[in-house]
Amino acid sequence: MNVTSCMKRNVVSVNAMTTIREAAAILVKKHVGVLPVVDDDEKFIGVVGLRDMLTLELPDFVSFVADVDFVHDFGAVEETRPSAKTLNKTVKTLMKPAITVDEDCGLLRAYALMLQHNLHDMPVISKEGKLVGITSRVDIGVAILSTWPKADK
Amino acid sequence: MMAVPAIISSIIFFGSLILIFSEKLNRSIVAIAGAALMVTLGKILGFYSEEAALQAIDFNTLGLLLGMMILVAMLEPTGFFQYLAVLAARSSKGKPARLFILLGIITTILSMFLDNVTTVVLIAPVTILICEIMGISALPFLVSEALLSNTGGMATLVGDPPNVLIGSAAGFSFNDFLIYSMPIVLLSWAGALFLLQYLFKKELSKRPRSVKAIMRLNPAETLNEPLITRRILIVLGGAVLFFFLHHALHISPSLVALSAAAIALVWVQPDIQEVLKHIEWSVLIFFGALFVMVGGLEHAGVMEAIVGLLEQASNVPPVLFGVGLIWIVAALSAVVDNVPITIAMIPVIKGLGESGMDITPLWWALAFGAGFGGSGTIIGSTANIIVTTLSEKTRTPITSKLWNKRGLPVMLVTCAIASILYAIIYNWF
Repeated sequence: MNVTSCMKRNVVSVNAMTTIREAAAILVKKHVGVLPVVDDDEKFIGVVGLRDMLTLELPDFVSFVADVDFVHDFGAVEETRPSAKTLNKTVKTLMKPAITVDEDCGLLRAYALMLQHNLHDMPVISKEGKLVGITSRVDIGVAILSTWPKADK
Repeated sequence: MMAVPAIISSIIFFGSLILIFSEKLNRSIVAIAGAALMVTLGKILGFYSEEAALQAIDFNTLGLLLGMMILVAMLEPTGFFQYLAVLAARSSKGKPARLFILLGIITTILSMFLDNVTTVVLIAPVTILICEIMGISALPFLVSEALLSNTGGMATLVGDPPNVLIGSAAGFSFNDFLIYSMPIVLLSWAGALFLLQYLFKKELSKRPRSVKAIMRLNPAETLNEPLITRRILIVLGGAVLFFFLHHALHISPSLVALSAAAIALVWVQPDIQEVLKHIEWSVLIFFGALFVMVGGLEHAGVMEAIVGLLEQASNVPPVLFGVGLIWIVAALSAVVDNVPITIAMIPVIKGLGESGMDITPLWWALAFGAGFGGSGTIIGSTANIIVTTLSEKTRTPITSKLWNKRGLPVMLVTCAIASILYAIIYNWF
């Protein structure tokens, strides 16, 4: 079995020149955590996810103070929103090169990659560099468990 | 006519200073390369040797720094610094001007006994936290913390590296610093604080958007391990007590610091690898390598030449000579790191002493110049570099332009106050 057996096809993708505002609206509408980014030839070039979007709003101190458990109320930052200028930037400015797998990648390898790179979703790419689908930890995990031997009768 | 060794060793030393200033290469790498080159060429040309290089290293300075670094490395993960900052935030009742003074005082007191860099590294992140949840700009606070830790550190023997170096070279005790340095430093410090408050009055008069969040912070929750915190603080307190007594007991400050570190390690038994990882080895290596380089300069006769030049100026009144030294060292410390300047000036002052000059006041002039000069530019002191680097990772970075408008005036005013006081009490030195 390989990753193509447990991935979502027909994935919504965006162009690199899409604004952050538009990409955020798509994430909200589709209720998904990650958007693949493609170039004008439909070639996959990266992903932009919820996590990247939220760094725009996350206060600076979260990256400096190791343990923020003692902060019970985030006060002023709770109402801070990214500026219009930030939202009008393209997703290209936020996009990161993504960890991807080929269509023939095995399930355990795919799962191990996601674990090591701390990913929840991972794009599956064809030999030609086109996006064929997205798989998630739950998709792969459940697919692996389903192959386990059933109880002896 | 200068001899070949003097020319070669000067090229190595000043070339290294220029490389450090250009920030093209890491300063510790430059220093190690310079030291190796100095010893190698010194051997070839016959003016320096391995034995002489080892003797040039002031192990008293390195031991004192290492001991204090171990204590701080153990105190760091306990959350004690966050505890103090949160306490300040609550006592300020959300008034920025009051928070400004409280955080300034805490930073100053901590930097009197701990390394300035450590103080700033630990207090700056929680400052950003407090400012962000209050909804005010953290910039005035960060800039002031760097400047006030520079100033506060000057008050004691252990507070900043130039003082450690000068204390060790001149044989000044911890109490000497309290008697001669602290009063001048405190008055200059007060001047710096008022000036900063004035320069940042626009930012500090803004109403914070959320005060409630500050009042919901609970200091007790910031301490990860109250028992360990208490033990380290007891040891640190004991160390400070012995610093007061070290001269009378005839023990060196480095023995006090290293013994305190040993006691804390035995009492707390932390993961030693973790502790050692937090020691700033690059700083210790930088110091060691600089000692070796300056030793080469000395053996090549460069220091004698400088002393000879300075002696010609010895017909100016001694007070003016001292005040002049404050400003020259301050200017140099603003553009280069104050540690190499101090290490290089030490043999010069010693040389002046051998030629019959009263050098006690000159040691103090060196300490004031090196300390106050560091405020002038971002690269003037490591604490400045640290807050600037930290702020560059936030949405509102500190720029050189901002520093020229806030840091430079502080340097000029504190140097001026110190010069006047220095001249007034000159005869008591």
